[in-house]
Amino acid sequence: MTTHYLVLSALLFSIGAIGVLIRRNAIVVFMCVELMLNAANLALVAFARMHGNLDGQIIAFFVMVVAAAEVVVGLAIIVTIFRTRRSASVDDVNLLKY
Amino acid sequence: MSTLLAAPPGTIPAPTIEYTQLAPMMLVFGAAIVGVLVEAFAPRHLRSAVHVPLTLLSLAGAFALTILLAVDGTRNVAAMGAVAVDGPSLFIHGTILVLAFVSVLLFNERLQFVSQAASVPGSTEEEDSLEEGAVQTEVYPLALFAIGGMLLFSAANDLLAMFVGLEVMSLPLYLLCGLARRRRLLSQEAAVKYFLLGAFSSAFFLYGMALIYGFAGSVDLAKINDALGSASGRDTLLYVGAALLGVGLLFKIGAAPFQAWKPDVYQGAPTPITALMASGTLVAAFGAVLRVFWVALGNLDWDWRPVMWGVAILTMVVGAILAITQTDIKRMLAYSSIAHAGFLLTGVIATGGPAQNEEALSGILFYLVAYGFTTVGAFAVVTMVRDAGGEAGHLSRWAGLGKRSPLLAGVFAFFLLAFAGIPLTSGFFGKYAVFAAAVSGGATPLVIVGVVSSAIAAFFYVRVIVLMFFSDPAPDGPTVDVSSMGTAAVVAVAAAATVVLGVLPQPVLDLADAAAHSLFVR
Amino acid sequence: MLSVAIFLPLAAACVLAALPRLGASAARAVWILVSAAVLGLAAAMWAGYPGGVAYEQRLRWIPSLGAGYHVGVDGMSLPLVALTALLFLVCAVYTGRDTPRMPAYAAFFLFLEAVSLGLFAALDLLLFFVFFDLSIVGMYFVIVGWGHGDRARSALRFFLYTFLGSLALLLGFIGLFLGGGTFDLVELAARPPFRAEPGIAGLVLLAVGIGFAVKTPVVPVHTWLPPAHTDAPAAGSAILAGILLKMGAYGLARVALPVLPGAWQRHAWVVIAIGVVSVVYGAFVALAQRDLKRLIAYTSVNHMGYIVLALGAAGLAAGDERARDLAVTGAVTQMVSHGLVTGALFLLAGVVWDRAHDYDLTRLGGLAGPAPVLTALTAVAAFASLGLPGLSGFIAEFQIFAGVIGTGIPGAAVAGAIAVAGVLVTAALFLRVLQRAFLGGPGELTARFTDVRPRELLAVAPLLALSLAVGIAPRPLLDLVEPAAAAVVTLVSR
Repeated sequence: MTTHYLVLSALLFSIGAIGVLIRRNAIVVFMCVELMLNAANLALVAFARMHGNLDGQIIAFFVMVVAAAEVVVGLAIIVTIFRTRRSASVDDVNLLKY
Repeated sequence: MSTLLAAPPGTIPAPTIEYTQLAPMMLVFGAAIVGVLVEAFAPRHLRSAVHVPLTLLSLAGAFALTILLAVDGTRNVAAMGAVAVDGPSLFIHGTILVLAFVSVLLFNERLQFVSQAASVPGSTEEEDSLEEGAVQTEVYPLALFAIGGMLLFSAANDLLAMFVGLEVMSLPLYLLCGLARRRRLLSQEAAVKYFLLGAFSSAFFLYGMALIYGFAGSVDLAKINDALGSASGRDTLLYVGAALLGVGLLFKIGAAPFQAWKPDVYQGAPTPITALMASGTLVAAFGAVLRVFWVALGNLDWDWRPVMWGVAILTMVVGAILAITQTDIKRMLAYSSIAHAGFLLTGVIATGGPAQNEEALSGILFYLVAYGFTTVGAFAVVTMVRDAGGEAGHLSRWAGLGKRSPLLAGVFAFFLLAFAGIPLTSGFFGKYAVFAAAVSGGATPLVIVGVVSSAIAAFFYVRVIVLMFFSDPAPDGPTVDVSSMGTAAVVAVAAAATVVLGVLPQPVLDLADAAAHSLFVR
Repeated sequence: MLSVAIFLPLAAACVLAALPRLGASAARAVWILVSAAVLGLAAAMWAGYPGGVAYEQRLRWIPSLGAGYHVGVDGMSLPLVALTALLFLVCAVYTGRDTPRMPAYAAFFLFLEAVSLGLFAALDLLLFFVFFDLSIVGMYFVIVGWGHGDRARSALRFFLYTFLGSLALLLGFIGLFLGGGTFDLVELAARPPFRAEPGIAGLVLLAVGIGFAVKTPVVPVHTWLPPAHTDAPAAGSAILAGILLKMGAYGLARVALPVLPGAWQRHAWVVIAIGVVSVVYGAFVALAQRDLKRLIAYTSVNHMGYIVLALGAAGLAAGDERARDLAVTGAVTQMVSHGLVTGALFLLAGVVWDRAHDYDLTRLGGLAGPAPVLTALTAVAAFASLGLPGLSGFIAEFQIFAGVIGTGIPGAAVAGAIAVAGVLVTAALFLRVLQRAFLGGPGELTARFTDVRPRELLAVAPLLALSLAVGIAPRPLLDLVEPAAAAVVTLVSR
């Protein structure tokens, strides 16, 4: 049973990682990162079930809190630069090179 | 945590928390929270006057508590296995606290930080806030949170605490990066890049942690190490998990091929924040790297060592070679920081028997202290050389600084020589200690690469020195701002530390040896 | 007394660096006074030298790394210490008041003096390395700051070569430390590490050898030398050739031979081959030069080749021991002689540059007319350099050849014979220089020449006088060197 959850979680993680690499909108990139975090949560819960201890589930709660904090900080930063640039595309973020 | 299941229903056994052993960390976090309350309730004109002493006193107090703990001699695992209190962690805590203290002295919210982070650059709103004399005093509590995160990150004894520490350290830094007063676009861009890449890498770290948890059934570092011998049949989980964890950690130290953020962020961030990141974050991240790879994956060293070899070689070479082409002083220092991370990695690889591990660990610890002071000093000098539009970042503006301000240029030249590892500077003994450990650990080819790249690196350091002393100054060259007592004090302290560690390194070496003697608690 | 001699110039350098607004005359006066004081100390040490390792001083420095502040001089280092003191004083006298940024210039030279004295006196490997590396840094800034021509490029090449070499040296020293557990040269020589592991000893010798070979320099790692010399200021060239090159050869004799005797013996033939190649290659390439300073630089490669050859022959355990003593004595004498003579030659080349702003031999000619004293001095220096009897070069080279051939090993005899041929080539090339630049019809630049100024004469004459003194009465020097050379040969024969 655990395997199914793990495969799903790995799929979600990969979708998130690929999304970060190919999408251009900072908000979408950020959502993909959140998807990766949630993939990890799914894996943690599945493993907790497999091992029969609660560690994984507790960790998942921690991750949710951290992810919420990350959303606050991330959106603040993205909104600031959006107000400056009127664009959230990471391609426009190009003053710093090499 | 697993004891929760064993307890009879209806009762929850209270966890034991060793408050005395966690005191330094709790003091820093407590001060950070008080700082937030000050932001909320104190009138604007008083905030700065409250924040500066509060921040500095809490850091000094935490340092004193760390010393007390080190003298006290207790070495165990505190807070139900979440935090290790051992020689290396105390040494690293002391280092981080001192370096953070000096970095905070560089903070000058009227000069370096934006007046109001939310206002759009160039808007009327911003002009208003400038006229009002608004200042963003939140930088102090944010920095305290980041420093507390560094303490937790480097001392975490399980992966969860390490993850929390990582995020508590990183999130404030993402924000601080975007708060530069001058060149705000650059600064905001740095913040976006740092945030997106940082979040991406911490997702890797987290997923690696999940897989390791699946492998071992625990996130406790010692239990993971035990499971390496017993759990079989789930090796894929272990290897993939270890690789993902490694990506997350190597990103934080800026090792190639995960170094891309470092130059951008170092250049864009306000210079005091860069100093804090270049010193404190690097020290903390190396503490975490050592803990993960030596404690949790210590018995797996045959598997991770070849990969680390590649990473170390790549990091040294990339850092040294790309630094040559830089034209911005902060970017150049960023690449030099990448190269130094590579040198430190050669020490991480030099594992072996307990005696060998001790030697390598003590070398790394000494290197971290030496490099930390020098780099804070170098960035402090960068804050002092100013143009009309802020700091004079472009290297061409530094031409002839030796004629304009021989003392400052001399001190900066000295820092650069220390980066290059010239004898009688702290950099020499740092490099020597790490390389000697690596040679005796059987990593001689790696040391040869290190030696070659430090020669390349030395080339661009002396190039800057030549530029400062033997070029003619531009007619409208930058001015040297010596108005800030704090900055001058930082430069003096860093220069003194670089000299003392270079001429008489014995006391600090002894300290590092003593800290490394017990290795990590398990 | 030794430590005072090392730290006095350093303190003076710091004072001068702290007072950049000091007038040129005052800075020069400080420089000359301090150098003279150091020379006085060196002379006093020579006069009171009791034999063995003298003026030893040992302080704890970094016990946990096994490194201490341990200095002392013996028969091998004392002549070099004296040579250093003399040459730096001479450079101070030679340098005119019109040098730009005089206080800084003087500070760098005093710094280099301290570093060189420290290196020759160091009996601890880490201390030795510290001085070795600092000498590179100091010389780099002298070339960049006060050189001419394409100085940035030349200085960079000098820096990269020698700095990489010094890092190889550091690797070798780390190896020695791991093998012997200490950095102390005396202890390491008493108990050489890696006796049982020839492979490791060979690798350590390779690392140490590369470090010293770059600095000496020998073919094929000599390519930094000609441009560095060409573009350095005259006094810088004199110090570079007279003192800094000695650091490589001295390091071989002081570190490699006594501490890695087994490896040195096994690879003695390699060393001899490198020495012979340097001798022949240096001589022939020098013959092809049109640039006066490049020419002198290549003769340095040739002369340092003799030293390497002699040190290689010292490792032939099968050879006659007295002959090997002779070879090492010759090597040390050659170091002193080369320091005196090449120092003088570079200073004379500096006079040429000062007048003509060119080193091109084809544009010079008939200088004997406008500048008879310059011509005489150059002739003496050239004859000393090519090894004319009665001058110091002859004594040194004669001892080297006699020692190398006298070992009685056919291969060594062949190597010695080839090296003698090198003397013929250098003789030819110096005679050609004298004939073309100083005698014969006037060249296009000859009109610009005036004869040597008093300070230039005062600088060069003592060097040549000493060369003559060593050539006529070598005994005082040889009495000092011979016991030390014999000790080295005993150590390497273990």
